[in-house]
Amino acid sequence: MSDTPRPELVVEGLPGRRRPRWVELATSADHKDLGRILVCGALGFLFIALLEMLLMRLQLAIPENTFLSPVAFNRMLSLYGATAIFLFALPLALGLFYYAAPLQIGARGTALPRLGQIGVGLWVAGATALYAGFLFTPSEAGVNPLAPLTELAFLSNNGVDAWATATGLATLGFVFLAIDLLTTLRVLRAPGMAWRRVPVFAWAATVASWLLLTIGPVLLAALTMLMIDRNYDGIFFADGSGGAPLLWQHLSWIFYSGAYMLILIFAFGAIAEIVSAFSGRPLVNRATIMASLVAIAVLGTLAWMQNMLTAPIGIGWMYFAMLMSLALVVPFGLVVFNLISTMNGGVLRMRAPLLFALGAISSISIGLGAELEHSMVGAAWELKNTTDATAATHFALVGGAVFGGFAALYYWFPKMTGRTMGENLARASFWTMGVGILLAFVPLFLAGSEQGQVIDAYKYFGGTGVSAYNLIASVGALVLAAGIAMTLLNAILSRENGPAAGHDPWGGDSLEWFALSPPEPHNFDVLPDVRSARPMRDIRDAIAHRTAGDDAPARERQPVA
Amino acid sequence: MAPHSPGTDQIDTLLLIGFLAAAIVVVAVNVALVAAVRRNRARRGAEPRPVAPDRRRQLRVGTVLTVFAAVVFVVSVVFTDRAREAPVTGPAGLASEKSGLLTIKATGQQWLWRYDYPNGSFSYYKLVVPVDTAVKLELLSTDVVHTWDVPDLSGKRDAVPGKTNKVVFSADEEGVYEGQSASLSGQAYAAMRTAVEVVSPEAYEAFLKQQKADIDAAQDRVVGLIENGEVP
Repeated sequence: MSDTPRPELVVEGLPGRRRPRWVELATSADHKDLGRILVCGALGFLFIALLEMLLMRLQLAIPENTFLSPVAFNRMLSLYGATAIFLFALPLALGLFYYAAPLQIGARGTALPRLGQIGVGLWVAGATALYAGFLFTPSEAGVNPLAPLTELAFLSNNGVDAWATATGLATLGFVFLAIDLLTTLRVLRAPGMAWRRVPVFAWAATVASWLLLTIGPVLLAALTMLMIDRNYDGIFFADGSGGAPLLWQHLSWIFYSGAYMLILIFAFGAIAEIVSAFSGRPLVNRATIMASLVAIAVLGTLAWMQNMLTAPIGIGWMYFAMLMSLALVVPFGLVVFNLISTMNGGVLRMRAPLLFALGAISSISIGLGAELEHSMVGAAWELKNTTDATAATHFALVGGAVFGGFAALYYWFPKMTGRTMGENLARASFWTMGVGILLAFVPLFLAGSEQGQVIDAYKYFGGTGVSAYNLIASVGALVLAAGIAMTLLNAILSRENGPAAGHDPWGGDSLEWFALSPPEPHNFDVLPDVRSARPMRDIRDAIAHRTAGDDAPARERQPVA
Repeated sequence: MAPHSPGTDQIDTLLLIGFLAAAIVVVAVNVALVAAVRRNRARRGAEPRPVAPDRRRQLRVGTVLTVFAAVVFVVSVVFTDRAREAPVTGPAGLASEKSGLLTIKATGQQWLWRYDYPNGSFSYYKLVVPVDTAVKLELLSTDVVHTWDVPDLSGKRDAVPGKTNKVVFSADEEGVYEGQSASLSGQAYAAMRTAVEVVSPEAYEAFLKQQKADIDAAQDRVVGLIENGEVP
């Protein structure tokens, strides 16, 4: 922050009587403060999710282990699922959207800052509810707890209530954030920034917000019904009194499928920015990538019944789900094709953000390749609910949320803190994570597809041919966790002590690099007129032209399009 | 998994096709990625090439991807439909197509499978069926969602309370096939296993008679005890 007072700033309170930093942060409605709360919180919960995963993998390291009791394992499983999805992946994506997208479109803040503040507050309340539940009884019902197991008759302690409250509060918070983001992106774009010039990451934020507005209320409705069932003698999901257990599956899978797509949309939005910046050239075909992200959101959510291929639903619905899933091949393929064509002909600077972005593409390709097989109905009848599905989901989502999220973190960390994260620790972290994810999940592919080892089970039996696979997977999980911890450590160490980054460390094309690092509360003193999809390059060129002081004409601008 | 039913034969082929499709995707993306990195690493004096409009290339790639997805879809539908066809009952089988399939009720409950046979007898955990005979399992649940899964004989199917689901298979070899419930159903879920014992039709008939007799005897004994006042 600069020391010279600015005439347009109203200074509240008396100098020297500023409130403590944490009070400032807790009461701030600034999108950068709220984004940082979400990102820091999400990374903290990533660490907790890792511990939970390691406890489960420790239990599964040897057959018929008694390290965790069945109940303890089911609780770990439920906590891990809720933490990884609602407290890590989604808030990390939303936090980075919320931090960077307003800067990218040249906004001085968000349109509805109080709504965003309430959104973050609700998320914090949800996180508290989930882990306050740990003090009495966490849920034992699994990652997506299928009714009627969640009914009072089968799980009578308040674990499921705590789970539903936590996920409900967090989801409501996400919906509020999405409303704020969407309004901001619609009304606060800098002069001249037509939709076709909006940075891909900000476009991804738009698509993700629309998606959340669609799927968030669906889960909220389902959770409300569940709470009525449990606390007010409802019968929505209870069989025998006119209730329908399958209703829960439909509603919840609409949310989970959409959230899966949201994480990948976030990852590809960030990866596109990074690939473009580190290749030194614009994306080969922005329009295709932007359209593909929309298609991914629509098709991916419509494919919700892909998760219900063994349920008693008609074969026609199964083929419909398969059609939607397989149609995803086209937009995902086009996005990856355009990213690779952008690299071909570019000059690649192999810094940490690009390294993690490439790791994300690779990991997601393995995950989605396997999901391709899972969407083929007949094949799904064998593969569903085996560890093969665990591995596919984890390759795609660890690829998107952890590799992709870390790529975005390494890329925008200098903007958030003014400092760059350590490059050597980043490389060590990347390669450890790369080895770890292969060791942890390739054996699960084999155990699931060859031996049919089932998911969510607290133990397996010796002599079923899966013992060696599970032992390797447990070691791999440890390696993966160590790699992830290195980047978390890197972020903590670099926050105060990293090399100073400057305002535009990567030579990016979008407007967040026009702001200071870290940006001032009002983001920009002056806003440039946006004349192309690469406003920051235009500014750099104009400055270079002016400081050169000669009469040479400025570099030709991209045609106004 | 070693397929022992006509349905799983088809699924096995589809799994192989699916694996190849997945392998094509993974190899194509990763080879292109590594090649792009090797070719375009920053060198001294290298300048990025300007981006040219490439509408036709986008269209070509889009078409290739669409065709790939369409082929996978059609192949999947063909093999899935074949897997769904009821297997033909063999010469030694008990049920012909005329009289319908041998229908057995399989009920999932926390944490056991119960099998009800046509003659009124039942068994827990182990299902006994005749070899080379088409068997239709009607899946029911008395409490939560359970998934019936004996990979060698059939794909998975959920037993959802209030709904009936079905599994059709025809085991081609005598022996015991192990299976395990595949949906988290509570504490003892991991121990909720099942087994299908495939025997000759004669042995199957004998098993049913014996089971029926045992159950009746046990029931008579209990009734007798109650009548004698030995059990309240």
